[in-house]
Amino acid sequence: MSHHLEGSRNSCALHGALQLFESIAGVVPVIHSTSGCGVQHYLGGTRLSGGNDPFGSPAVSSSNIGEKHVVFGGGSRLREQLKNTVKVVQGDLYAIVTGCSTEMVGDDIPAMAKEGLEQDWPVVYANTPGFRGDVHQGYHLAAKTLIEQLPELWKDAEPAPAGLINIWGIIPDQDPFWRGNLDELGRLLEAIGLVPNLLLGGDQGTAAWKRAPGAALNLVVSPWGELPARLLEECYGTPSLSLEGLPVGAAAGILLTRLTEQLGLDPLRTEEFINREQARLQRQFALLADSYYRKGFQREFALVGESSQVVGIGEFLGKSLGLLPRTLVITDNPPEHVREALVNRLTTIVPGYDTELVFSEDRAEIADAIRSGQAGVVLGSSLEQEVAVELGVPFLAVSFPLTNRIVLDRGYAGYRGAVALLEDLGSVILADSLSV
Amino acid sequence: MSEKIGKHIAIYGKGGIGKSTTTSNISAALAESGYRVIQIGCDPKSDSTTILRGGNDLPTVLDTLREQSKVRIEDISAVGFGGVLCIEAGGPVPGVGCAGRGINAAVELLQELKLFDEFKPDFVLYDVLGDVVCGGFAVPIRDGLADRAFVVTSSDFMAIFAANNLFKAVNKYAPSGGARLGGVIANSILAPYAPALIDDFAGKTGSQVIGYVPRSLVVAQSELYGQTVIEAVPQSEQAQVYRNLAKFIDENEETVIPKPLNGPELKKWAREWGDRIFEVEAGVVHEMASI
Repeated sequence: MSHHLEGSRNSCALHGALQLFESIAGVVPVIHSTSGCGVQHYLGGTRLSGGNDPFGSPAVSSSNIGEKHVVFGGGSRLREQLKNTVKVVQGDLYAIVTGCSTEMVGDDIPAMAKEGLEQDWPVVYANTPGFRGDVHQGYHLAAKTLIEQLPELWKDAEPAPAGLINIWGIIPDQDPFWRGNLDELGRLLEAIGLVPNLLLGGDQGTAAWKRAPGAALNLVVSPWGELPARLLEECYGTPSLSLEGLPVGAAAGILLTRLTEQLGLDPLRTEEFINREQARLQRQFALLADSYYRKGFQREFALVGESSQVVGIGEFLGKSLGLLPRTLVITDNPPEHVREALVNRLTTIVPGYDTELVFSEDRAEIADAIRSGQAGVVLGSSLEQEVAVELGVPFLAVSFPLTNRIVLDRGYAGYRGAVALLEDLGSVILADSLSV
Repeated sequence: MSEKIGKHIAIYGKGGIGKSTTTSNISAALAESGYRVIQIGCDPKSDSTTILRGGNDLPTVLDTLREQSKVRIEDISAVGFGGVLCIEAGGPVPGVGCAGRGINAAVELLQELKLFDEFKPDFVLYDVLGDVVCGGFAVPIRDGLADRAFVVTSSDFMAIFAANNLFKAVNKYAPSGGARLGGVIANSILAPYAPALIDDFAGKTGSQVIGYVPRSLVVAQSELYGQTVIEAVPQSEQAQVYRNLAKFIDENEETVIPKPLNGPELKKWAREWGDRIFEVEAGVVHEMASI
């Protein structure tokens, strides 16, 4: 069963947890691990996700344990680090995340967090050794930590506004377009009278997490949002609406209609909004039409990314833009029960057309799949650029790791994301035709 | 790695079975014969060499490593009976940290300090904590550190299980240059069936018993004086038993790769012996048995 893995794009659980904590304003992560874990997170994670990495260097507090802490236990080092961090960095919440060595040694992290709480420091902890899984598990573990430990910390949580919707499943940096995608989902929800709770992003602080238990619904846009939604359902009875991927273009209208039905919203308001957005999108299609036919946009494509991206982008390109999904590669190792649904959904985007669907995080295997598919355009991570060059076809970087683009608030979700995708994909196809 | 100086012997066995007592008496007997001996306690309890040095305090390697950045051999060693150089690896308090890694770190430090080049021992005895519960406790028998491993066991089934676990570790590491098994030391022999039981286990696993150490008050009494039997009661029969063990280890270098019993085999073997012992203890007389 085992095989070597080339150029994996899935980092470890510690990094996934850090990516979540670092994306909440006011949360100060404290790494309890050997030195290097935080730097590796920066070098192999945030720095490769759209050129918007933190200025200077990764300023993450870390206990940087050495051999004596492994032998004698690192609890006291963590205690010291937590104390120093609280002194130096003002935060609303301090989140301890652990690495492999400290978990192997069995440091008592809950006890250290409890000591912090006794000093009136707002401290939570997540046991996130790399051996518990990859970056997606880290997102799970960090979300679980906040859902389970925050209510104990903030017993005075304010009631949530009516119609609050939590959005789950977008992993910061693992989706380089996470900010833009969340913003657009928020815009869509607001337009039909709901209150989005994005939970992550520069303007999303701990208050957003305080409100989360009182939400009317959990909107799940990837398999990785299922666990937090389930936990909230178990604790607070919050229902959820689960999509397998990002809603891009017309899929956004379907989502809004479902939400309107499920939550008993004003259908006329929703319909008006969808019609307006859809008409706007149609105008963009019309503007693109000349280039589309003149430059031969309609072609087979290969798409590599996390399941939510492949579903969202793949369906939009196949169903709305008339391209043909030749090779689809899902890189986030979704759980078995999700895979079956993904196979059914993604191999029938264009009925009667033969789509190859691959689940892999191996760079070489992915390159082979793209090579043998001979698609006319490749969308994927920067790791796929090489095979696109080899095939002599245009390439658009849309998934992690993404090293050749600056991504600030661009996203591919919703109606606006669809237009952004038309522009970006159109541009690389156009540029390619001019270079010939 | 430079050429090995002295014969390196690892002694394993279940906790409380008498490893440290046996090892210290073997060290004392070897020293009495004129050999230069180092005994290294590889157990967080740090009491391996107590009876060699009159019960005096000895800072452990790991404690010293924690307290000071530069460690010298004299900071972590004491000269005990017959000139035996006593060293305790030490380790964390129970329930904290990783004792296995501790042994690894301590052994690495001793190599860095060129202990063996400095002391030029004829024998180095490693007294290693009970069950080989994880990789760290297998350090002395890995990487060719010790040439031979001995296991101390009583006729208690848990001690035999621990011995079988050590056989598994030897079996795993010996083919790649790790220590091979020198034999089994039968300790605390009291019940009449004990030698036969341990012999049978040794036979089934392709090993041999190199000596039988009877349970004796002399041992307990010597320990209360903070001494080995060799030092406290040199003329006793018990002292002679330990001398014979030391002589065997000195003169016989034959080793084997043992064949540990697997789970079901070990259970079956224990059950059969359990039945036999019960019959002996209960005085069951079988029909037609000659009396």
